[in-house]
Amino acid sequence: MNVTLTDIHRSFGKNKAVDGVSLQLGTGVFGLLGPNGAGKTSMLRMLATVLPPSSGEIALFGRDPRGTAARREIRRRLGYLPQSLGYYPSFTVVEFVEYFALLKEMPSAAVPKAVAAAVERVDLGAKAKAKLRTLSGGMLRRVGIAQAIVNDPGLLLLDEPTAGLDPEQRVHFRSLMRSLGESGTVIVSTHLVEDVGAACSEVALMSGGKIVFRGTAQDLTARGEGHGVGDAPLERGYSAVLAEARS
Amino acid sequence: MTVMSVPRPAWAPPRSARALRLEFKRNAVPYVLPLLAAVFYFDTLRTADGFPPVWTLRASAITNHMLFEFSVFAAGLGAWAGSREGRRKTVDLVAATPRAPWARRSIALAGALCWMLLAFLAGVAVLYIQTALQATWGGPPLWPVFAGAAGVTVVTVLGFTAGVLFPGRFTAPLVAIGVVLLNQVGFREALNVTGTGGASILPSPPTSATYALLSPANSPPLLDGGVYYHLAPDVSIVQVMFMGGIAVALFGVLGLMPGLRELGSAGGLRSLRAVFTRGDGWLSRAVAVLLVGCGVAASGTAFALAGTGQVDTVTGGWEIPALHSAASDQPVPAAPDCTFSSGFQVCVHPAFGFYLHNVATALDLVAAQIAGLPGAPVRAQEVASVSGGQDVQSGISGNPPVFEFTAERVGTLFGEFYGYDPVVWPEEFQQGLLEAFLTGPSQYAGSAPNLLDPAQLAVADVLLTAAGSQPMHASNSGQPALKSGLATEIFAAAQRFARLSASARHAWLATHLTALRAGQITLAQIP
Repeated sequence: MNVTLTDIHRSFGKNKAVDGVSLQLGTGVFGLLGPNGAGKTSMLRMLATVLPPSSGEIALFGRDPRGTAARREIRRRLGYLPQSLGYYPSFTVVEFVEYFALLKEMPSAAVPKAVAAAVERVDLGAKAKAKLRTLSGGMLRRVGIAQAIVNDPGLLLLDEPTAGLDPEQRVHFRSLMRSLGESGTVIVSTHLVEDVGAACSEVALMSGGKIVFRGTAQDLTARGEGHGVGDAPLERGYSAVLAEARS
Repeated sequence: MTVMSVPRPAWAPPRSARALRLEFKRNAVPYVLPLLAAVFYFDTLRTADGFPPVWTLRASAITNHMLFEFSVFAAGLGAWAGSREGRRKTVDLVAATPRAPWARRSIALAGALCWMLLAFLAGVAVLYIQTALQATWGGPPLWPVFAGAAGVTVVTVLGFTAGVLFPGRFTAPLVAIGVVLLNQVGFREALNVTGTGGASILPSPPTSATYALLSPANSPPLLDGGVYYHLAPDVSIVQVMFMGGIAVALFGVLGLMPGLRELGSAGGLRSLRAVFTRGDGWLSRAVAVLLVGCGVAASGTAFALAGTGQVDTVTGGWEIPALHSAASDQPVPAAPDCTFSSGFQVCVHPAFGFYLHNVATALDLVAAQIAGLPGAPVRAQEVASVSGGQDVQSGISGNPPVFEFTAERVGTLFGEFYGYDPVVWPEEFQQGLLEAFLTGPSQYAGSAPNLLDPAQLAVADVLLTAAGSQPMHASNSGQPALKSGLATEIFAAAQRFARLSASARHAWLATHLTALRAGQITLAQIP
């Protein structure tokens, strides 16, 4: 298992962002759904080892990230795209991705080729030398994805990766996620249930800091039959589960 | 070629070098270099150009002007670089990478620091090349460069640390303003560093010596500082040590930053204990604590050493006894530059060889007017402006009589270089010679300049006019202002004396010179 969470809690003051989550994940694309404030971003930040849990155990690639050496080893195999991508406007696309490849301690000789591959995978080859300040929001999102995948991560954490992407790019990105999920674990936090339906082999739905549903996209669709609201079957499943969790 | 076709290099530079290249390439410093260059030109370079081409004087512009300009920019740009992660909201993104924050920030700091030091050294190179093209003796002093580089380094690290601690778009300008205040108010005004242009050319009394000596910015040195005697590096060593210590300590603080942040968010003594006893990352924390300790120790030692500073009784400069080398008190051997064009030999130190011709031309004319009179000098010799810890005045001494003058005291030498009328300053040398001649043979060491009485002034005016120069009272003579009635009387006496033939004047002076020097001749007695 690449990810093992045991009774994870995380509080900010009196607010419980994550409240007793336990999870085991192997390879594949795992969708994390939930309304605003459900705890998805806190969960991803804990998995990215940037936010320590208040209590509970996290094991990534079988190692405890609380130890410096283990955390460093985990981070080398980690790809992370935060919900709000910060960037350095004066860097070019290639330089920004290269910078993160270096921070991820990739072998120096392998960096140029890995950077080029990552940039091509997000379809930004033509903009490789463009300064980030000149790119659109969707392109910047793709730069963020490129830096996340540049080290060919064993665990890829994507927080709202398709926000701002046009339909063509979203289709392309779903294909990329499926491809990455064949060799590692991809965790996608999103509001867009169609992304989950198209790319995720497994889905979890969070509400109030807890996982209130776990299964396949088909299972979630089934939960919405005859219940829930929404235009698509998956949306109806989503709303039905949420309504049940809140009742 | 698309990016996919990038070939795998046979040799790849280390990761840190690649990251440094990126930081260097995308640093904000180049964007402000044109502004910095303009400030450097209009302040440092033009000020230095106003100094005579003497290495020590010109080099003083590095710490007095250049460092101030560069430190303001360095602090602001350091803060801009340090605040980048917070400002650009990449904190989570970079925190999820295995590279330790300290290592990551060190590279960002190095990028900004490299640019600032390169710009600083380029400025020094311009200043020194300009001086090399004009100077007639000596070589470029290195200690002001070290002190300046240490100053640029410490403010860059200070700004960077402030940027990391308080990331925000206003941090950089606030830090830059803070450095201006630190420079101007903290070090120069509040610490009462006084200039050397007052009653004494020697350094100020050590009332606030500790702070004054630690400030790289200070008054320019003596005009002939470092010419007759080596300029002791004691003070520069202490400054480099002080500023270097602060820089090292701040760099250590950057290493402790994650723990300090944890402490700040959690608070309490238990958290403090937890931060320091946590099993992981102990090595980097230990190194950071060591750096903080070493930096504080270096700065503290420098502070203590500066407190022992005292005026060197030989050279007139500052010395730190624990660092002082007696070798720097030895005179610097140099053969004087001399000219003997019309029977009156004029010698100057080779460092002032650039004005030998002008001085000799000016002195020859006056020497011709007094030649053959009792006590008239047969030659003029430039001497050190400080001897045995005392200011030196110009005067005539020895047998045969020699007019000894200093670069500092004779004439408003700075006049030419500060842009005054270039005709005036050679006349000041002439006046200096006549002052010494008309007041009589004297010991040249002393603190009071020669002052002429009204009769001496009238005679001096006539001799100067005969030599083709302006009368003394009509120019900037350094003599006290005269009451209007007395000035008229002097003018009338001078006119009477001027109507005599040159031989008659010479004869009268030969007869009455002793009484004139003794102040026993009144204006009415002048024929």
